[in-house]
Amino acid sequence: MEALRKKIPLTLPQNSIKIIRIIAALLLLALVIVRAIDVAAESQFGADTWLRLSVSGLIIGGMYALIAIGYTLVYGILFMINFAHGEVMMLGTFGGYFVFEAFNAIQVTATDGTQMSFLNANPVIAIFLAFLMGMTIAALSGYFLEKIAYRPLRGAPRLVPLISAIGASIFLQNAGQLLFGPQRRQYVNPVVLDRGIGWNLELSGSTVVLTYTGIFSLVLSAILMVGLYLLVQRTKLGRAMRAVAQDKKTAALMGINVDQIISRTFVISGALAGAAGVMWGIHNGLFNYFVGFLPGIKAFTAAVLGGIGNIPGAMVGGLFLGIVESLGPAVLGIDFQLKDVIAFSILILVLIFRPSGILGEALSEEKV
Amino acid sequence: MKKSVLFFVFVVFAMILASCNGAAPAGDTSNGDSSGGDTTSAVPEVCASDAFGCAVVPAGQTVKIGMGAPLTGDYASFGVDISQGAAIAVKDAGTVEGFAFELVAQDTQGAPEGGAAVANKLATDPTVVAIAGHIFSGSTEAAMPIYDKAGLPMMSPSATNPPLTTLGSKVFNRIAFTDAVQGKFAADYLYNKLGFRKIAALHDGGAYGQGLADVVQAEFTALGGEVVGYEAVTPGETDYTATLSALAAKNPEAIYFGGYVAEGVVLANNMKQSGLENAVFFGCDGTFGAEFVEKTGANGEGAYAASLIPPQSEAKLKFDADYLAAYGVGAGTLSPYTWSGYDAAAVLMAKVKEVAVLGGDGSLYVPRGALVNAVRTTSGFVSITGDVTCSDVGECNTAGPTFYIVQDGDWVQAEK
Repeated sequence: MEALRKKIPLTLPQNSIKIIRIIAALLLLALVIVRAIDVAAESQFGADTWLRLSVSGLIIGGMYALIAIGYTLVYGILFMINFAHGEVMMLGTFGGYFVFEAFNAIQVTATDGTQMSFLNANPVIAIFLAFLMGMTIAALSGYFLEKIAYRPLRGAPRLVPLISAIGASIFLQNAGQLLFGPQRRQYVNPVVLDRGIGWNLELSGSTVVLTYTGIFSLVLSAILMVGLYLLVQRTKLGRAMRAVAQDKKTAALMGINVDQIISRTFVISGALAGAAGVMWGIHNGLFNYFVGFLPGIKAFTAAVLGGIGNIPGAMVGGLFLGIVESLGPAVLGIDFQLKDVIAFSILILVLIFRPSGILGEALSEEKV
Repeated sequence: MKKSVLFFVFVVFAMILASCNGAAPAGDTSNGDSSGGDTTSAVPEVCASDAFGCAVVPAGQTVKIGMGAPLTGDYASFGVDISQGAAIAVKDAGTVEGFAFELVAQDTQGAPEGGAAVANKLATDPTVVAIAGHIFSGSTEAAMPIYDKAGLPMMSPSATNPPLTTLGSKVFNRIAFTDAVQGKFAADYLYNKLGFRKIAALHDGGAYGQGLADVVQAEFTALGGEVVGYEAVTPGETDYTATLSALAAKNPEAIYFGGYVAEGVVLANNMKQSGLENAVFFGCDGTFGAEFVEKTGANGEGAYAASLIPPQSEAKLKFDADYLAAYGVGAGTLSPYTWSGYDAAAVLMAKVKEVAVLGGDGSLYVPRGALVNAVRTTSGFVSITGDVTCSDVGECNTAGPTFYIVQDGDWVQAEK
């Protein structure tokens, strides 16, 4: 007994914090489960509603994931948060928009002799070119963003490029407003990919619409994520990126051109954000110069949730955030206005109980 | 405390000025404010018994209708537009006992200080008999006590802040309908005209939108209907399918939305894919306008909205043509209040005609107290915005909003 007491001052703080944490976590979990069971017992929502909510969450989550990868890639290599990433996405949205607008203006005669716009006559080409344009513009802006705003600050303390990133974000937003005007524009989709229509599923007496634009976005973001994963894991560029992330100095000694790899990382993350931007436009329709702000913040959250610096973590975090935002209020039976509260509460909880994110932070030598 | 003292000083100052000026142009015989028995037969008897005395317009001068409006600054388009609408009313009004009317629009810049300054200025002019204004609620509130003291009846075309008519002012009246009135009419239309019994109310979390949604919820429930869902959306987002899907589970027949066109468009677009394909989108005056139709396309068909813009009528068509001819732009393009600007001035001038008396000296005598009462008791005055009938606190907006529906890609007036 005496011996134990003497030990307590040394060991209790650490242990008790851990125990309190675990108790708090269990209590919270129990609370949420009780509430969820309570709500489920009321059976306010049918299977159709749950399906609708899940689909809507997955679609938005896919886009968050694509943008979150950009945050994570850059963080993994430079240990900085590229807060201008949402604006890179915004530029991609505009790129795709102008391609659609241009093709919509061109009139061609279809094979059956009717007049229609090029957009509707060749939707696959139009969509492909829109994505190409959006991704190129976003990739280029990512490239120059790094060259102008971050490279000169390479040796500076970590806070400095962060401030520079915020500055770049404000600059790009205002540039977008000056260039394109403040009014909200609307994507003109090809008829085959019209918004709001899709496969109709009959479920518990009502029709659930799986929109073409939503499924298209979800599939495309999955393909891009798989592609990126393969690029990072299987190619020479990917290996170089991983090497730079682990240890810049040693990588340079091994003959890797670090600056070039950093540039390419920005190009890749920009291209993914651009693709997300075009998807955003195709699926949601309305956008203006401010379109990148909210998804940017949400994707940053997703990246932190999944474990920043960790690519599969960003994907999981994005999808998780999308689903929580969509299903959370319904599960807890509260107002949908509080979806952001739920999302950010989860972020805080994850940071308390698992500071390195769901899948864990990818720690490099330098950081440790 | 400090403010009211300041007002008091202003008012005293204004009254001193008013009495001085009042005497000057009228010469030695026709001081309307004097209550002594030295008046000659030139002064009508009614002036002696009137609480505020008479406004005296000497022969050759005009009867002035004042207006406090933002004519410069950020909100100039409102002031310019409304004063132009009122100017057309002045042109249409003709003369009273051979005296012409004139509109005196003064710049308030939309601010309370400007409103008080303009009120002091107008209150000192003996030939100003009534005020078609002010335009903004803040400026109106600052001006009200000054006009109250001076006995100048007000008829605001556009001050919509609900508490203005609860301040106990004798002179303040308004034509514009408030958000409370709009919500009441919308609930009534949903329940009685469209026959809905289950609706959901949505808003954007702002004072305007939530205020409307609250009123609709209360009124619809009072009528016997059921509000099955009440939610807020976060402004600026472009995907509300989750919120709408949750509402869809409760099978509302209509979605009432209080807010602006940006969110209204997204909601209307998202309804079909959220299981609300059979529900009607019912907006407010914030969702009315060309942008809604343009951005919703086929999804917007059958959506409702409210508007200040009065229903088409002969009077409105004539006004629209006159406005276009006089100013080169269409009525309603600068602000939605131009028609109420016309009506506010028209009501005031009609009442001036009722009470004005021609004196023996050729001057026009307008008993101020009688005019204040006449305006407050306006009943059944038919003009562009419809039937103008004032309640005993000065709400003259019984006509309420006009409801519009999207048909074939354009807003058309919905069945009354």
